[in-house]
Amino acid sequence: MSKTSIFYVVLLVIGAFGAFIIDTTQKEPFEKVQPCDLIDIISQTNKYVTTDELARKIMADDPTILLVDLRSKTEYDKYSLTGAINIPLESLADEKYKDVLDQNVRTIILYSNSSDLAVKAWTLTSRLSYKNVFILKGGLNRWVETILKPTEPKETALRTEFETYSFRKAASSYFGGGSTVGAPTIKKKASLPIKRKKKSAAGGGCD
Amino acid sequence: MGPLFPQELISEEINILIGFFIGIGFGFLLEAAGFTNTRKLAGVFYGYDFVVLKVFFSAAITAAIIIFFLNHFGIMDISLTFYPKTYWIPTLIGGLIMAFGFIIGGFCPGTSVCAAVTGKIDAMIFVGGALIGIFGYAFTYDSVWKELRGSGAMGKVNIAEWMGMSDGLFILLLTVIAAVAFFAVSIIQKKVVASTNYKL
Amino acid sequence: MEDKSKKFMNPYLAGILIGVFMVAAYYFSGEGLGASGALKSVVVASVDAVNHDYASNASFFKARVGGEHSPAKTWLVFEVLGVIAGAIISAAFAGRLKIEIGKSPKITNKKRLIYALIGGILFGIGSQLGRGCTSGMVMSGMGVLSLSGFIGLIAIFGGGYMIAYFFRKIWI
Repeated sequence: MSKTSIFYVVLLVIGAFGAFIIDTTQKEPFEKVQPCDLIDIISQTNKYVTTDELARKIMADDPTILLVDLRSKTEYDKYSLTGAINIPLESLADEKYKDVLDQNVRTIILYSNSSDLAVKAWTLTSRLSYKNVFILKGGLNRWVETILKPTEPKETALRTEFETYSFRKAASSYFGGGSTVGAPTIKKKASLPIKRKKKSAAGGGCD
Repeated sequence: MGPLFPQELISEEINILIGFFIGIGFGFLLEAAGFTNTRKLAGVFYGYDFVVLKVFFSAAITAAIIIFFLNHFGIMDISLTFYPKTYWIPTLIGGLIMAFGFIIGGFCPGTSVCAAVTGKIDAMIFVGGALIGIFGYAFTYDSVWKELRGSGAMGKVNIAEWMGMSDGLFILLLTVIAAVAFFAVSIIQKKVVASTNYKL
Repeated sequence: MEDKSKKFMNPYLAGILIGVFMVAAYYFSGEGLGASGALKSVVVASVDAVNHDYASNASFFKARVGGEHSPAKTWLVFEVLGVIAGAIISAAFAGRLKIEIGKSPKITNKKRLIYALIGGILFGIGSQLGRGCTSGMVMSGMGVLSLSGFIGLIAIFGGGYMIAYFFRKIWI
């Protein structure tokens, strides 16, 4: 055997020995597709509505928007945005909501506590090819941060930021936020089952 | 994460394109290792050239080691890949038929394709023969093969589990046996070549 | 070795690299490397093209035709097209592209070609019955530690050693 050959064979033996050692340790679970990856994919198309835009629409009593609260019934009852209807994520694809969601007249804005659920729901609605569906960026958490409890920008901030701030202050009192009403407690992340495509093994091969 | 295509993380077109590029690598290496030379291939049975054994085992062992690591660290789920189900009776009988095919024809399908396109006339005939064989099999499938092919079904069987040991231990044993065999055949080859003054 | 052509690659290095490509095939596509499956697709596609009615009824074919794609548009077919390209590239670089018949000097060309035909037919039948050939079932099967790969290994190589003596005149 040449020196090169011996080198490669030793390499194989070392690799096998590594496998033998590693096999005595705990096996790691398989990675799933992360919601953040989905966000990356989806954010390429403009499917978001910011909290400011939404506040403006609600304050202007815009009749073309339809707010959909994707959280559970209990959470919805505790707090929800003005005029929102409650469709928990798991019943989004139900036949009875089809007429409400599958129309091209009103702008549907999905929201949950953060963006996660809404992104999932948006993926689902786009699979069902519903039109005019948007996501409230940052969800209710962002809503509380920016609209209900806006923070004053630093003195050195740009003028536009002050304009945004004064708008938010106004919005805050409109929605009864600020110091007068205690903001609802919002959990970081509601974990609801997500509809995923069934995994299937590859069939092919030589046979 | 992996395998990507069965979980629909890449599209069918990309998948097929990747298949093409993987094929290029595979074909390149088969040719570069000398697998288009039918006498080198047959040599494994007569002791004058063990290139088949060397390439074959180092490829299988390398893949086994890397796939083991990928599976262990949660990077690739083996259960979603093409995992050959075990039907021991047809595999054994089919394997014996293939053994005759190998000895008589001097190729296996993969090497024959490489050899045929690089100008080996015997390989072109072999590929033609293989197509005829598949054709004949297909037309006699219902009457002759159907029952036999489905016999001895055991499902997806992992050999390490079947032998009652861990994957890692099995891979280690396999590699050690292969390493000893590699060493032994290099000695055998030297002796056989010296005594028969075989020239490739 | 041979006249002007370059030396062959170190067999262990070639094997290790083939192993890496096999892992890539599993990682990206969930497939093993194969060859006989592609030949089968060619047969299925051509029978389907000639006589679609027969192909949709005979049990060997009907599972494989009638999908949304041509039965020839499979991963394995494209993989084998790549194999063809790769082999030509390698042979061209190494100066091994030439028309010839590979055989033992002791037998005639005609004999060699007849044996190649018989061997091909046997391999065609065996690979279908055994659910794959040396690369698709045995090598790829061994990569994922499938029992069938090892049974195939023993059958093909063990069987080969058992019968090699009777066919030695073809080779040495």
